[in-house]
Amino acid sequence: MGLKRYTASRVAWAGVVAGVILTVTFVLLELAPDAQLARVQFQAAASGGNAEAAAEAYAQRRGLDGPLWERYLDYLANLATGDWGWSDTRSQPVSEAILTALPYSLLYTVPAVLVSTVLGVAIGLYSAFNQYTKTDYAATFVAFFGISIPNFWFGIVLLLLFAVHLGWVPVLFDAELARTRTFSLANARQLVLPVFVLATSAIAGTMRYTRAEALEYVRATFVKTARAKGASERRILARHVLRPTLVPLSTILVGDLLGVVLSASYLVEVVFGIPGLGRLSLDAIRRQDTALVLGTTLVPVFVAVIGNLLQDLAYAVLDPRIDYGDR
Amino acid sequence: MVGERDPNGDGQGGHRTDGAGRGRGGTDGDDRERAQTDGETEERERFEDVDWDAIDADGKRLTLTRLAALAVGVVYALALAFDLFVAGDDPTVDVALDVPWQPAASTVVWDVTAVDWLFVATLLVGGFALVPLARNSRLREYYWRRFRRHTPAVLSVWYLLGIFLFGTVGTLFVEQPGLNLAAAYQPPVFASVDASVPTECVGPVVDGRCHGTWEYPLGTTGEGKGLLTLAMFGMRVSMQVGLIATLLSIAIATFVGTTAAYAGGWIDEALMRYVDVQQTFPTFFLFLFLAYLYGGSLFVLIVIFGVTGWGGIARIVRSEALQRREELYVEAARASGASTLSVVRRHVVPNVSNSIVTAATLNIPFLVLSEAALSFIGLGDVTLPSWGQTIAAGRGDLATAWWISTVPGLFLFATILAFNFLGDALRDALDPRQEV
Repeated sequence: MGLKRYTASRVAWAGVVAGVILTVTFVLLELAPDAQLARVQFQAAASGGNAEAAAEAYAQRRGLDGPLWERYLDYLANLATGDWGWSDTRSQPVSEAILTALPYSLLYTVPAVLVSTVLGVAIGLYSAFNQYTKTDYAATFVAFFGISIPNFWFGIVLLLLFAVHLGWVPVLFDAELARTRTFSLANARQLVLPVFVLATSAIAGTMRYTRAEALEYVRATFVKTARAKGASERRILARHVLRPTLVPLSTILVGDLLGVVLSASYLVEVVFGIPGLGRLSLDAIRRQDTALVLGTTLVPVFVAVIGNLLQDLAYAVLDPRIDYGDR
Repeated sequence: MVGERDPNGDGQGGHRTDGAGRGRGGTDGDDRERAQTDGETEERERFEDVDWDAIDADGKRLTLTRLAALAVGVVYALALAFDLFVAGDDPTVDVALDVPWQPAASTVVWDVTAVDWLFVATLLVGGFALVPLARNSRLREYYWRRFRRHTPAVLSVWYLLGIFLFGTVGTLFVEQPGLNLAAAYQPPVFASVDASVPTECVGPVVDGRCHGTWEYPLGTTGEGKGLLTLAMFGMRVSMQVGLIATLLSIAIATFVGTTAAYAGGWIDEALMRYVDVQQTFPTFFLFLFLAYLYGGSLFVLIVIFGVTGWGGIARIVRSEALQRREELYVEAARASGASTLSVVRRHVVPNVSNSIVTAATLNIPFLVLSEAALSFIGLGDVTLPSWGQTIAAGRGDLATAWWISTVPGLFLFATILAFNFLGDALRDALDPRQEV
């Protein structure tokens, strides 16, 4: 199988996965008790009206009266065309609400991912080259610390220390400032802690994987050969170890990092009060805004699907040994 | 929130699956040893001398362990039936006990919840899984020798054992912390806080500062709940989530993994494709969505994490089972007429159990962390005093009462760290091929 067919099959697979996810969410929505319907019925009954008539009118208004398959097709078509419904609590389309919130999330996730990737790979490589030394143990300890510390709690402790006691950073996130002066020092100051918290949890995984993968190559025969032929340590590091290490790493980086960042964003945004996607979603859950809940939970899921697709493609492009038929 | 997944965990195994150094001193020896001790022979037996008929008979005989398992199973089923049909909505256990050191008879009221039932079942299954290890002292010593080299892991085991005992046995003797506004905001013992912070200081007030007392060793929350008791009940929640969901995952993963490896063909393909889809769907968001639609409880959380979190373990089991399938001992068993089921049960599952145990241990901290995170954002079980919930409750009082969020947070951090250390050491001790 050639690269083109491989790509086509992976894309098709991603489409299948997306279809499955949409179907599952549709079924879940169908089966769920509708809190709003109950409210409409109760109101009608309380004001002396007919509860059943009110329910029917409600269903008609919401487009819930057609046969199941028709509703299912409508649902798929709407989501595909970007019509994600109307958010009652925010009085704006769901897609608009998501697009307003998304930049705030990107403000701290993008730097955190960059920092953790660069540092994680660097520390992991260093650790692999200096296995079983004091610095290696120190790096391992840092990794364990990063994996184990609950980032929402870490955020609280850091806020207590640096914002409440020392006053170096603001306690509350200023959304207006982030929007109008994105690239200012003041904005950077309020983003330092969220980026740091998110990066510590992401850096640990990257570092451990890099170390494990690089160790495979540090003792490989071709590295010894290169060294015997007089290649400089720097060249060995960059060409003979880093390059093959990056191949399996690319799969982990996209998939795992994405998962970490997406779920961590909920916690980080709650702790630091950032009005991003996670906060939007939680507010929607608290205020029973079903359309918005659906939208804000589907966005990260689709990001994950696309991330997995990219990871498969990157794997095939980066590693010439991959047999396309196998995966 | 990162689950340390096995970098080698994809089904293909890749370049790491060379046989180098596959020194498994493990379960192969187990069978041999048993054959020896059962036969009560003094000299070392050779392979040809093994009485296979006796071993086969042993497989069907009612051993003491099996009898015990059967008895426990029956008792469990009866108790469950009692709770379901007789007790109904009333508390399952409601007895008055005369305790000599207390003036009044203390009543024990325990309404066993669905999670409690699952937890008891988990502990029973776990206990019986440890029987072979407990009976085989040579195996035990071998693993202990390898494990002992990791000092942090040994410390972790003692810590986790403590957490486990306090959370399970300890909480039976301690009452759930109740509202007590008179004791609000008490600082931990040895610490002090400005006397204006607590409404009434339980301990001594010196120079305008309220000092902590031994009555509330770790201080109290704004509702006057003792943090030590809250932490103990949090231990129970964390252990329940981690252990039950992991056992569910292991059971499903072992079943799916071995089925895929042995059935092959389209069954293998379908199962692994399903795992692909499931792995893409982040569990966190699935729970978020389900908790929104149907309301979240600890039971729902455990079931969702157990039923959707087995993908990675299933892949490990499948790739290991594929390797085991080619081993000579499996071929020998087949040649002597063993059915596929018995090959899987007696040769494959015991020999991949090392990988399963390691993957499971690394799965637990992820679950504990997820539960804490979900209760922190208020989507967990609001009726249970879990660590995440206490941390969230203390957020508003950070400037004045720092200990409320800090104490449960430290427990959570230490528990996750201990499980990670343990999993890492187990990987080293049980699977010599992995050097991470």
